[in-house]
Amino acid sequence: MTSRVMRDFDLLLPESVAQAITLLATHKDKAAVLAGGTDLLVALKFDYDIDNVVSLALVPGLDVLEFDSERGLAIGAKVTIADLLKSSDVKEYYPALWQSAKVFATPQLRNTATVIGNILRASPAGDCSLAIYALGGILTLENATGRREVDLDDFWISYGVTARKDDELTISLQVPAPATGQKSAFRRMTRVTEDLSKLNAAVCLQMDGDECTGARVAMGCVGPTLIRLPKVENMLAGSVVTPELLQEISDTVASEINPIDDIRSSAEYRLKVAGVLVKRVIKLALNEGNDQ
Amino acid sequence: MGELKVVGKKVERVDVRSKVTGGALYAADVQLAGMLYGKIVRCYDHAHARVTSLDLSEAVKCKGVIKVLGPKDVTQKEYNASVLDMMVSADMRGVLGDIDDQSIFTDHVKHYGDAIAAVIATSEEAAERAAEKIKATYEELPVYLTADDAKQPDALQFRPEKPGNLAFQLPEMAFPNNAYAWGEVDDSFAEADIIVEDSFYVSKQKQCQMEPGSYIALYDDQKRLNCWTSTQMPKLVQKKLANLYELPMTRVKIHTTVIGGGFGARLGMVLEPETCALAMAVPGRPVKLLSPREEDWLTSPSRHPGKYWMKMGFKKDGTPVACDAKFENYKGAYYVDASGTAFTTGAWLGGMYKFDSLRYRGESYYTNQSICGAFRGYGNPQTNFVMEQMVDRGCAQLGADPIEWRKKWHKTIGDDGWCIGVPYNSCALDECLDRAAEAISWTEKRVKYKNQTGVKRRGIGVAVMNHTSGAMPMLLEHTVCDVLLHQDATATINLACSDMGQGSHTTLRQVAAETLDFPYDDIHIATGDTDAAGFDIGAHASRTLYVGGGAVKQACEDVRRQLFDRAALELEEDASNLYMEDKIIHVKGASNKSISVQTIADQGVNNFMNPETGELIGQPGQIQGYASFFPPHNAPPFGATIAEVEVDTETGEVKVIELVNAHDVGRAIHPGVVEGQLDGGAQQGLGMALTEETYFDEKGICLNNSFTDYKMFGPSDMPKMTNILVENPDPTGPFGAKGVGEAGIVPPVGATANAIFNAIGVQILEAPITPEKILKALEEKNNA
Repeated sequence: MTSRVMRDFDLLLPESVAQAITLLATHKDKAAVLAGGTDLLVALKFDYDIDNVVSLALVPGLDVLEFDSERGLAIGAKVTIADLLKSSDVKEYYPALWQSAKVFATPQLRNTATVIGNILRASPAGDCSLAIYALGGILTLENATGRREVDLDDFWISYGVTARKDDELTISLQVPAPATGQKSAFRRMTRVTEDLSKLNAAVCLQMDGDECTGARVAMGCVGPTLIRLPKVENMLAGSVVTPELLQEISDTVASEINPIDDIRSSAEYRLKVAGVLVKRVIKLALNEGNDQ
Repeated sequence: MGELKVVGKKVERVDVRSKVTGGALYAADVQLAGMLYGKIVRCYDHAHARVTSLDLSEAVKCKGVIKVLGPKDVTQKEYNASVLDMMVSADMRGVLGDIDDQSIFTDHVKHYGDAIAAVIATSEEAAERAAEKIKATYEELPVYLTADDAKQPDALQFRPEKPGNLAFQLPEMAFPNNAYAWGEVDDSFAEADIIVEDSFYVSKQKQCQMEPGSYIALYDDQKRLNCWTSTQMPKLVQKKLANLYELPMTRVKIHTTVIGGGFGARLGMVLEPETCALAMAVPGRPVKLLSPREEDWLTSPSRHPGKYWMKMGFKKDGTPVACDAKFENYKGAYYVDASGTAFTTGAWLGGMYKFDSLRYRGESYYTNQSICGAFRGYGNPQTNFVMEQMVDRGCAQLGADPIEWRKKWHKTIGDDGWCIGVPYNSCALDECLDRAAEAISWTEKRVKYKNQTGVKRRGIGVAVMNHTSGAMPMLLEHTVCDVLLHQDATATINLACSDMGQGSHTTLRQVAAETLDFPYDDIHIATGDTDAAGFDIGAHASRTLYVGGGAVKQACEDVRRQLFDRAALELEEDASNLYMEDKIIHVKGASNKSISVQTIADQGVNNFMNPETGELIGQPGQIQGYASFFPPHNAPPFGATIAEVEVDTETGEVKVIELVNAHDVGRAIHPGVVEGQLDGGAQQGLGMALTEETYFDEKGICLNNSFTDYKMFGPSDMPKMTNILVENPDPTGPFGAKGVGEAGIVPPVGATANAIFNAIGVQILEAPITPEKILKALEEKNNA
């Protein structure tokens, strides 16, 4: 059935984190949290189970976007993608994140969609989520029993499913401060400019001169969740990034991914091109030209 | 022709203010007292099935529900939403074999989204909620998605009168051996030194007009059926609805609302029959039906996809000796436009090059896809994708420059046009090719891009096209225009031509102003009311300016003649000795003898007797102009596009760097409007070449009937683009104008494909040319 009319739901407007948590505890899986709403409002036309929408509109303190050279970047639950693009700190210290925000959806959606919403969506094609995955991130979740922190490495469980419990509110995300020599980049492939990724990759390299001392390499659209590529990360760690190494990495990527055929591309194509994309994103991170 | 005052100027478009301020009233904006809302229940479980049970009982009980309608609760008459049958003579109708095979609601679902029932309720929400309660069970039937599927001997037959599921082939009676042909193709191939041959696939592109289908219908207290719709063809839809509901035309009224884009998606009827069926069930209450985008996608027609085979033969010196082609299109679930596109796809092929002999066969097969019909270009983009790639393959083997070859062998004045027996009467294609080549440095780049070895490779390609201004002589071409001269000497032009957003009401107003020699601001174009307007075929086939403009010009000339006749009486001079300047009619060589148009117009309306003499002051009677216009020709527009692309050989991605479109437009009545058509056409042409396709899974479920996964070129995907307007006035067009509505979409398709061929040395035979296909083709080439 197609629809033009949103379903009935109760719009709940808590005025504090505590009130929001109480509402989530009451309604559990019959409630959805509204921050940017770019996914939720579409879902509301078809999802019969969402009876209550807990809006964060009036909850103070969730729009923090703060960089600290020791603690890193704090991103509150209401920070939008557009907010990232206004931050010179994000641009300077987290190029991967900035690059992913720059191509994220469309200007209208960037103005509304939140960074944390993108992570909670648990899409295997998420752009900002992927960049943050490569950079590393810790989520703070809170429910009636208190707060807990979850590493992004442990957060995505399967397609659309996360470690967040129904009664938990995601308060913020902390991205670690970059050490000297950290380089990162994000790249994606799409059918047209304004599109979901059909393949995306992000890297965060710790460089000591020519040597890479550690790496986080993440890819999207190649499995049910965003994934990291441990073999590639190990190949990079402790190595000088030579054209030969890049070619080896490019040839290795296919063995670490498990893409499927879908409307945006084919498994066959993704297997062929993923290595090229990873090679290019590494070169981009090392500022060796942003194209090949 | 003297100096033009309004024609050729970028005057303010008539619709621009209302559209940018949101004031324009689309059908969805129209609110009527007591309005009810409809929701059509569609089958989204299967693409081919029989409805074995339909339970409406729960829906009837829902809050706000007025009526729930199943297949038996509406007219049982079958119909054909296309209007092609109304554009040909009764004899021809029989020859073409159009049939009525659609019903309002069906118990035999033939495509994903076919309609099975409907709800009428007091709100859209109530209608949607009740529609969810309608329960249907189905018996699944085998799904046929391609012509090859549908023509299997044991395939279920869609219609008994169309054996083999062959909805249409060129009829023997009009086309011997079911082919559009000249010469002896087999003999000609024997003379060829080089033969190229391949089988292509052309895709199911969607118009993606911005406004989804929105309708209101009301069966009123005068027993008149009213329908508010943004149709491209108000007068034919009026007649079609009159036929379907067995009413005289006086009892059917179409209220045309502002059209949010057409491109063929509103050619003929779309959901007007269903909306009217709902209204007939609740006499006296207006019923509104709004399609969500996903539904509009499945119910309005798409471009005809299908398998397109072509073979060309050349002599060593480049002479094109033979062309043989066959297009088997996947028609979709119903007959609509099965005949038209199957023919024209070959007509555009036949109209392009001077082959000694040519044979084209066109066949339409029923399939369990959503319907196909009119879409900007009407078969021409499909032909361009195939024909132009084959020509370039031939040129590559001949060692010929693709532009020089085209200049030498394209058809021109005196050659048979797209319709055999109707020769071209104007053609400026050589100038288009020369100017486009110069603008993009063709010669230089063709040399530069030879033997590239890098990851990213540039390529440059050309394509040409012929099209038409109106469908004469294949289809009826006729527009009626009335001009009412008001007593203040301004004029209202009344005609049924729709403006789909292409700017035709602006250009028609320019034609009127120029012909009357009135200021642009003194003219109003009145449309939208089928009670008031005379006949018009509708907006299709790039005809509105050419035929509608012809009608406007003739009707305005009628007004002018009447003005001069009356001035002649008043001034006691021969009409031939008069001239008009600034709306004052003067006697040549006697500057003191004159009368204003204002005086004539006013005296015509406010006609009084001189009480002293008892004589009438001035000539009585309001002046009205009239034309019932049949154009003498089809003023073929020609065009050339050169595309430059960059192909990433590691990923298969294509970046379109530049596009130069040079078009023989006859005369640009409004250069901005013409450029708008070429820009928009190029956007759709690039999409057809590179990204646009409707996908179905093996069960016939449509996978991308929305913008989430159907990808058009957006603003940031568009290349640098230059439009060159070659103005070579056509002898039959109003002020020399030709139609440009469709031309722009056509050559970007072939030019882009040829640029890719130039870059990587491989041709991609299936549209759209995706990175996935390019990478595979490159691998095959490397492995070969």
